[in-house]
Amino acid sequence: MVDPSVVDPAIVAANAKGIIAIGAGIAVGLCGIGAGLGEQAIGAAAVGAMAEDEKFFGKGLLMTVIPESIAIFGLVVALILLFVF
Amino acid sequence: MGKSQAVKYAYIVARVRGMKSKLIPKEMYPKFLNMDIPEITRFIGESEYKSDVDELGKKYKGTDLFEHALNQNLALTYRKLIEVSQNEANYIITEYLRYWDIWNIKTILRGKFSGASEDEILEDVVSAGQLRYRDLLEIIKIGTIEGVIAALSKTPYHPALSGYKGVLAEIENNLDKMYYAGLIKAGESSEDKFFLKFLKTEIDLKNLKILFRMKRAGMEREEIIKLLIPGGIELKETQLGRLASMPFPEFVRALEEFSYWKAIADISGELTSLINIETRFDKYGLINITRISYYYPLSILPVLDYIVCKKMEVDNLRMIVRGKETKLPEEIIKAHLVM
Repeated sequence: MVDPSVVDPAIVAANAKGIIAIGAGIAVGLCGIGAGLGEQAIGAAAVGAMAEDEKFFGKGLLMTVIPESIAIFGLVVALILLFVF
Repeated sequence: MGKSQAVKYAYIVARVRGMKSKLIPKEMYPKFLNMDIPEITRFIGESEYKSDVDELGKKYKGTDLFEHALNQNLALTYRKLIEVSQNEANYIITEYLRYWDIWNIKTILRGKFSGASEDEILEDVVSAGQLRYRDLLEIIKIGTIEGVIAALSKTPYHPALSGYKGVLAEIENNLDKMYYAGLIKAGESSEDKFFLKFLKTEIDLKNLKILFRMKRAGMEREEIIKLLIPGGIELKETQLGRLASMPFPEFVRALEEFSYWKAIADISGELTSLINIETRFDKYGLINITRISYYYPLSILPVLDYIVCKKMEVDNLRMIVRGKETKLPEEIIKAHLVM
């Protein structure tokens, strides 16, 4: 029987890695949801403006991807979690 | 999860802002005053009205072409708004554009009453509401007022028309009251409270115009009160009753306590011309809706702003061309323009 007071360092390291991976997943996932919420109104408006004037395509696309920066923040945090810790 | 206010209106607002940018800029109107009718028609034929002018060019000429092209464009533009909007925005726009159903019914009834020809009536018909152009064409062919009212029996407007006893003013008034009562109901049921605010201001301006006209015509208090539309924001029923019972000079002075006074303050010394006053009130309404549409950019207000601006554009163009046709002096045409 394994003595519970003796903790195997390999198991601790594996657990820590798992928790870090979950943290990274949450960071990317929540940021993705946030970016999506932000983009829905902007995307709808961009499509509306483009329907009237197709020259708006470039500006509309740019405006739509601005909330995407939030998703990038999430990705950066996830990468830091995975590779720095 | 329900959509937020911003998401609901983002599409339609961006779309109408795009449409608004294509309206004729107000700097153009003084230029139009210096042009001849063929020049103006050519300019219009190369603008947003191109397809309408081209389409109707075979059928009509000169100012008739102009008039029909403007009306068709207005109707198609408003119809487009109904088609591209959804849910609450669609409901409010549809209710608001019932104005044109009322307008068409009034035009047809007046035409029949005065014995105008079918073509003459058709010139003023704008099928921007729920009554389709084809249905209106059929209704115009009917010879009598009773026949027209019977043809409208399946529409929601019939209750207002059914009491016709030979006086058009009565049913016209019923139609107006019915329209605004329906709009207030729509405003109260919607989550967008800005619409109600705009609507009540519009009712006030309409009541003020009615009061000025009636006072000028020397009508009695009871007669005036019958015509006024209930539901204004500043001019409540008690105020309306008080204003209706005053003689003209006192009535004008009493208006000082309302915010609408600033619309006519600078011409208060020479309130002889009703046209001047009505143009001022129209302008006030236009400035008001444009201003509040910027305060609440993701609401129904920018759409209503566009509807009002488009109507003003068409009215201004018609005014310029009709004025030029009848050789009116430039100053008089300019005084009629709302910009």
